[in-house]
Amino acid sequence: MSKQYPRVSAFKAFLILPALAATAAHAGTVDVTVRASNGRPLANAVVMIDSPGRRDAASRFAGPHVMAQQNIAFRPEILIVPVGANVSFPNRDRVRHHVYSFSTPKKFELKLYGREETRSVTFDKPGVAALGCNIHDAMSGFIIVVDTPFAARTDAAGRVSLTGVPAGRATLRVWHATLRAPGGQIAQPLVVTTAPIAKTVTVSAR
Amino acid sequence: MTLLALRAAVARRVTFGHLRTRLSVLYATLFAVALLIVAAVAQIMIVSHARSSVRAELTSSGTVFDRIWSLRSQSLIASTDVLARDFGFRAAVASGDRATIESALLNLKERVGMGSPFIVTLDGTVVGDGTNTIRSTVGKLPFRLAVGRRDAVVASGTGLYRMVASPIMAPTEIGWIIFAVRLDGAEMRALEQLSAIPLTATILGRDMRGRWTPATESSVAVSEALDELVEQAQTRKGRAPETIDLQSGQAFVLAKPLAAADGEPEAVLLFSYPVANALAPYRALQLGILLTGLIGLILVIWGSRRLATGISRPIIALDKAARSLEQGERTEVPVEGADELGRLAESFNKMSAGIVEREHRIAHLAFHDALTGLPNRVFFREQLDGALGRAVKRQGAVAVLCLDLDGFKGVNDTLGHPVGDALLNIIGAQLGELAIDGMVSRLGGDEFAIILADDAVPGRPRLLAQEIIDRMRQPMQAAGHQIATGVSIGIAIGPDDGADVDTLLKNADLALYRAKQDGRGVYRYFEPALDAAARKRRQMELDLRDALRFGQLRLEYQPIVYVQGDRVGCFEALLRWEHPERGAISPLDFIPVAEETGLIVSIGEWVLNEATRQAKQWPDHVRVAVNVSPLQFRNTGFLSLVFRALAQSGLAPDRLEIEITESVFLDSTEPTVALLHRIRELGVRIALDDFGTGYSSLSYLRSFPFDKIKIDRSFITNFAENDSAIAIVRAIIDLANALNMETTAEGVEDEEQLEQLKLQGCTSVQGFLFSRSIPSSEVLAMTDIEHLRAAA
Repeated sequence: MSKQYPRVSAFKAFLILPALAATAAHAGTVDVTVRASNGRPLANAVVMIDSPGRRDAASRFAGPHVMAQQNIAFRPEILIVPVGANVSFPNRDRVRHHVYSFSTPKKFELKLYGREETRSVTFDKPGVAALGCNIHDAMSGFIIVVDTPFAARTDAAGRVSLTGVPAGRATLRVWHATLRAPGGQIAQPLVVTTAPIAKTVTVSAR
Repeated sequence: MTLLALRAAVARRVTFGHLRTRLSVLYATLFAVALLIVAAVAQIMIVSHARSSVRAELTSSGTVFDRIWSLRSQSLIASTDVLARDFGFRAAVASGDRATIESALLNLKERVGMGSPFIVTLDGTVVGDGTNTIRSTVGKLPFRLAVGRRDAVVASGTGLYRMVASPIMAPTEIGWIIFAVRLDGAEMRALEQLSAIPLTATILGRDMRGRWTPATESSVAVSEALDELVEQAQTRKGRAPETIDLQSGQAFVLAKPLAAADGEPEAVLLFSYPVANALAPYRALQLGILLTGLIGLILVIWGSRRLATGISRPIIALDKAARSLEQGERTEVPVEGADELGRLAESFNKMSAGIVEREHRIAHLAFHDALTGLPNRVFFREQLDGALGRAVKRQGAVAVLCLDLDGFKGVNDTLGHPVGDALLNIIGAQLGELAIDGMVSRLGGDEFAIILADDAVPGRPRLLAQEIIDRMRQPMQAAGHQIATGVSIGIAIGPDDGADVDTLLKNADLALYRAKQDGRGVYRYFEPALDAAARKRRQMELDLRDALRFGQLRLEYQPIVYVQGDRVGCFEALLRWEHPERGAISPLDFIPVAEETGLIVSIGEWVLNEATRQAKQWPDHVRVAVNVSPLQFRNTGFLSLVFRALAQSGLAPDRLEIEITESVFLDSTEPTVALLHRIRELGVRIALDDFGTGYSSLSYLRSFPFDKIKIDRSFITNFAENDSAIAIVRAIIDLANALNMETTAEGVEDEEQLEQLKLQGCTSVQGFLFSRSIPSSEVLAMTDIEHLRAAA
């Protein structure tokens, strides 16, 4: 199948420009380190900063968005997509998979399909969609649908760096698969300055 | 140490009158102790075994229970898992399709068959049928469950529930299926069936005060012991069954805390088994042991009594025999068996026989003379006493014959004591033959005595005495020697001659003494005069001793005049005794007594000393003549006595003349002669006194060269008229002259005798013609012959 590239409407491009201009003028960098309650760095956590007025996630996260099934696992485990993104679910295994999600942002199921690359799903609500395979209980993946362009996954050291965050009030959100909190994420207010900010967030994880 | 002390203390307090009892008690006690030990050991082992087997059973039941419980849990979990995994169910839960959820739960319930299923969502919402209490508990369960735990026993309200939880993964945990099964009696019964022994299973839960109490009906009551038990069960790894008191009694219990969701267990499974039940199967055994023990004890008591009797009977017999022997009576002990007791009995018999025999022998020896076997003095006295008593009663008489062997001393000295003993034996036997009707006894030495009790034959004593004398006259054969002795007999008849033993014996002795005095070999009856004579003699002896001590003795001197020259050559010292009461006592009376009593030696000493002392004061040419008794001569100190007298007085030895009679030679000639020579060597003169009156005067002249012969007065008296007397005197004088001996005629009383003697050639004369004996003070005056004539 040929890739379908997401179209960026001209209107949306216009919207971005002033934002970009504004960004360039009063923006800072936020370094966030996520730790578990026992002090260990938490990898594969998603750090998001909601800045008012900034909903141009699509600009930051260009496609294509692919959640493949390979070696009886979702690849990547965590996929950050903007709202409205169309994510394809190629099955690169020899066995069939029955992908499903009962998460609030998107309830769907891709009933038992084999090696093909034709299935895809569009995620038009922000949130976290937990993916599972009906056949393979061990398969677990997450699609983080964000509307803020400031979202990234922590590395092995639990660190992530978000640049160009407009100064001023914002909301820092952290999500992790094991986080003990409703929805698996916590949120806290954040004041962004032009100077770089380093923040450590400790979360209670299972 | 303590053990010895204990034994001693017990022994002191517990004494038995009978050996039998002691033995019985000992054996019975020992057996009882042994039995008790066995019974105790058996009991301990039984109880221990019962306990350990019940414990083992409880433990294995506990293990089995663990397995069953876990299997049950797993089965429940499996069932709930099946539903939790179902995609459609997951979709329904995720989408909140309540109706579907509830019907699925119902389905599950029916599938399982019991209990109540619930769904608990992430936010704690509970879906399912149940009371609010249970729902509330269920709702909290997933959040309480520790990581990895899928099941728990929780308390909810008054009930205890086993709950299993299955997470609903879609794909992450979106909720749980909780399956709750109430733990009740039915479950417990099911568990009880599994055990080999009839256990009782009870579920315990905490009550309001936090104490463990049965959740199901049971006899288990709330108690501290129970709480403690559960505490211990939780802490210790190896939970072993313990014993606690339940309402119904002691029981073995095993407590198994049932895992809760988190923290402390909220329920405990209690297996219990009454101890009594554990020991029940062994009751029969215990009873059997007890019974056997009792029977055994009875047997032992009976047996030991028999044994004890068997042992003690001979001992009792010995005891009795010993006690009767103590009293003086000998009893034989029956000898039973060949063991120590039998041997003891035999020994005892022999011993007691020996004792009795020895007693008899001692008694015999006490009363009989060892040599002759005749009754001894002690026995004799006893018998005499008895005979006297009987004689007094019957008004009869008892004759006592005292016998003394004549010359027995000579036999002992010449032939030796063994011969003397043999002789005594023979004499004793002969006396016994002769005096069959009397009792012959040996009083000691060569003294015998015979008791003749009053009998029909009068004059029997006399006859017997004569028979004895006649028999004893004949020579006897003793120890290869032919010996001739004689016997003197003294006879006393009581009670006339003595009302008691001592008097009678004394008088018989006096009679014997008289017989001896009368020449021996005769018998004499006691006469009261004898007694008097004896008394007199004794008195004289005492007086004589006093005389010597108090100076009642003095010397008088009778002159011996030389025929040629008419001068006094010598004075014979004559002893005089002035008794303070009786006046002058004649030497004829007291000299014999002195010689008998041995006083003569001390008297003689005094005489010698006194005479030499007084003679020292006389003119040098005058000698003093002192009579010396044979007894003095035999005294070993006589020579030194003479020497001392001479030395002390200072008298020249040749002024001393010693007059001795022939009897001096009687005992042993040689020593006497030797002594005479030694006296002679001193310078002292020796004169032979009373010449002609002895047995072998001439031979004595031969044995020693006397200085002087004194012709006895018996030759001088009337000799002037008698021709033969004259001839004899002349012969004597000639003999003396021939032997170079002086002669002195004694007892010259008239001139005719003097003339005759002059004619015969007698050296000197002595007698009343010239002078009686005079005191020393007058001697000096008499040395002049003129005064001598005038004084006459």
